[in-house]
Order: sequence, then C-alpha cells, then structure tokens
Amino acid sequence: MSSVFVPSWAGVGLSLLLVAGCVAVVIRERLGLAREVSIAAARAGVQLIAVGALLDWLFAHAGLAGSLGWVAAMVLIAGGVSAGRGAGIPRARLVSTVAVGTAVTLTLGLLVLARVVTTSPRVLVPVGGMVVSGALQATSLTLLRLRDAARDSRRQVEARLALGQSGREAFAPYVRAALRNALTPTIDSTKVVGLISLPGAMTGLILAGVAPLAAIRYQVVVMYMLLGAWAVAALVAARLTGRMLFDDAHRLRPLGRR
Amino acid sequence: MLDGVRLDIGAGRCTVIVGPSGAGKSTLLRLLNRLEEPTAGRLWFSGAPIAGYDVLELRRRVGLVQQAPVLLAESVLEDLRIAVPQLSPEAASELLARVGLPADFLSRATGTLSGGEAQRVCLARALALNPEVLLLDEPTSALDAFAAQSVEHVVLASLARGLTTVLVAHDLRQAERLADDVVVLIAGRVADAGPVQRVFAEPANAGARRFLAGVT
Repeated sequence: MSSVFVPSWAGVGLSLLLVAGCVAVVIRERLGLAREVSIAAARAGVQLIAVGALLDWLFAHAGLAGSLGWVAAMVLIAGGVSAGRGAGIPRARLVSTVAVGTAVTLTLGLLVLARVVTTSPRVLVPVGGMVVSGALQATSLTLLRLRDAARDSRRQVEARLALGQSGREAFAPYVRAALRNALTPTIDSTKVVGLISLPGAMTGLILAGVAPLAAIRYQVVVMYMLLGAWAVAALVAARLTGRMLFDDAHRLRPLGRR
Repeated sequence: MLDGVRLDIGAGRCTVIVGPSGAGKSTLLRLLNRLEEPTAGRLWFSGAPIAGYDVLELRRRVGLVQQAPVLLAESVLEDLRIAVPQLSPEAASELLARVGLPADFLSRATGTLSGGEAQRVCLARALALNPEVLLLDEPTSALDAFAAQSVEHVVLASLARGLTTVLVAHDLRQAERLADDVVVLIAGRVADAGPVQRVFAEPANAGARRFLAGVT
C-alpha cells in the first residue's frame, strides 16, 4: 500500500487544463454550454473536496454509529430523488425511501452479518454508497415505468378490474414489465463486467496497489450485492406502488400532481 | 357531477341512459360496479346495498363493456381467459357464437381485429363471467354503422336470454331500438325516466323535451 501514487494538489490544479480545453471546444463550436461545463467542473471539485474532508473526519472519529448514520442519510436523500421519478404516485417518497432502505438493509446487513465485509467506516461508507446508488436507480426506473403505466393504461387496467380482478392482479402485467425494465441494466452490466468495463471497486483497489486477483474478490461481492440490491429495491418499489395506486375497493386512484 | 339521482333498474330489462355530453351518464354506469364511489347516497343490488358485497364478486356479477374496445391479450382465446382462466376452447367457441363470431377467431391475433370484431370479443369476455347485469358504455360510438349493428344484435340476443342491461347511448334511435326503459340525464340530474314509448312520446318536463327534440 505504501507504493500508492496519488496526484499532488498541483497535479489536480494542472488537470484543470483539461476542463479549459473542454470549454474552449464548447465555445469554438458555439454550443452555448461553456457556463454549464465550468459550473459542473467547479461543483464536482468543491463537492469532492467537501466529501473527502468529511470522510477523513468520519473515518477517524465517527465509528460504527456515525457510518450507519451516513448510510441512513444517503438512503433518505436517494428516497427523495427517486420519488421525483414517480411524481403523481400517492406517497411516492415513502415508497421510494422504503424500497431503497429495504434493499440496503438486506444486502449490506447480510454481508456484514456473514462477515464478508467489515463494519469499519472505511468499508461501510463507500460500500453503502454503492448499494444506495444501485437501489436508487432500480427504484427510479420502477417508479417511472409504473407511473406511466397508471397514466397511459388506465383503460386497460379498468377493463381488468371490471372483470373482477383485484388491483394487484390487474396491475401485475405492468409490474412484471417494470421489474424486467429495472433489472435489465444491472443484468447487462453484470454480464460484461471485466470484458468491456473495469468496475469502480476493482479499479480503486488496483490503483491502491492491491493485486488484481485479490481485487476481483471484492468486486465479485460488490457486483452480487448490487444485483441483490437492484432486485430487492425494484420489487419493494413495485409492490408498494401497486398498493398505493389502488384503494380498498380495488379502484385505480387518480394520479396526483406534485 | 350526479345529484339527487333516484332510479330503479328493472331486472331482465334494458335500461338506456341518454343525455348530453358531460351529463354524468358514464359516471352513473361506473357507480353500478363500483369503479366510482358515491360521495353521498346508496346503491342497492338484488335487495342489498352494493357496498355490502365483496367488490370483486360484485364486478363479476355486474359486467362492464367500455366505449372503445380494450383487448388485453395477444390472441382472442387468451383474451377471453383473462375473464375465466380455465375457459375451455369449446366454451370459448360458444361465447364467440353468442357474439356472432366464428370459432376460428379463437386463434386470431387481437391486433388484427376490426373495431366491430374487437368490441364483440369484449362483449364475449364480459359474458364469459355469466353476469346478472351487463353495463355497456356507448359500446357502438367508436364503430361504423355495420359494426354497430352487429353489436346491437348481440345486445338484443342477450336481452332475449333475460340479461339485465344498462346501456349508455349517444344515439336516440339506438335507444329506441334497444330500450325497455329510458333515463334522460341532464346536468347530473334525472330529467325523466320511464318506459321508452312514454318518455319519447310525452317527456315529463321541458328539459327532457328539449333534449329529445334537439337531438332527434
């Protein structure tokens, strides 16, 4: 680990030249994006410096409780962001937060209990971040698809309800389609891992000097954990959304406005 | 939308609801199988408040066919099986015969059906549940004259078998052809209701008279 090469702050400053190059291209091509590129680059820098400082403090002082608090905060933020994708679904924020929270608790909890990952903040926080991010994407894709189905396929759903199907039965084809849609990206990326992409955890470990064959062990665990998190998040989001969309008399509720 | 509506729908009869657009005709129909819930008042079915029935059982006993045909599966047989999953091909053929379609339609892809054929499959699907009441929400408004006539034949045949039918119609001539009783709904209120000959010959009030004269 002592041989890890990390760029100096001067090196980081020098990399700004690449941003300047990007801005120059954008100006030259009159894309009208120069301001946006500059702001994005500045934001990324400031955000990462702030997170780096915070994590430095967290790893040194916060312990297990602080790490769990950090993961919980990430779940809440992810729930809020994902709820926006399901705008109009009754109690979308609750649905998305519970979906992300359940996925994180089950997958991360299982790995911690099985001692596959440690409870050290240095492990829990970044791994938690990865799993929250995966669960967020799965939840967003599911909510988006189900919201559109409830809006665009109301006549089809009501035709099924009129045949005496329960809300759950009437919505089942749309839930299946939404789950398939939500799981496809992670299945595809799992298939090609190592072939057309070197995933983040493995790359990070290799950069940190870990032997590639050891680094992939971590990556395999992360990948399987992400697969599980996507599946749990999508399933919980779909089931809860189905429940929120129908009332006790198995009527499809009108979609609200956010 | 509906206000002060008091109606008796006779068993084994065809009651046709007419009225201008936005009068609440479809809402009234959807109240009858609880796809809508009244904010006040009560509906009764077979001597008991409909809120007392299991809603899924109620909807199987009170079938609904929507305005434009809504097909739900790839093939006609699969579509009928959405109503009755264990439906045999023989029973499905009988249902198709009731709506005037040949048995070889069972294997037809639903995407290849004409509007009239699709609506008749929807009728067959509703009839598959052997309902006591059939609700029809302007079932011919999206169809051409020939297709509309074929759907009317199905409705008349069902009536002949004693099926209680409540139909929302935009065409007063169709109402005259099919109805035993007519309900004239104007701005959410019942302007007139009664046997079709009486309502068309002697509307009970000026509102019903204006509507029936204006459209015919």
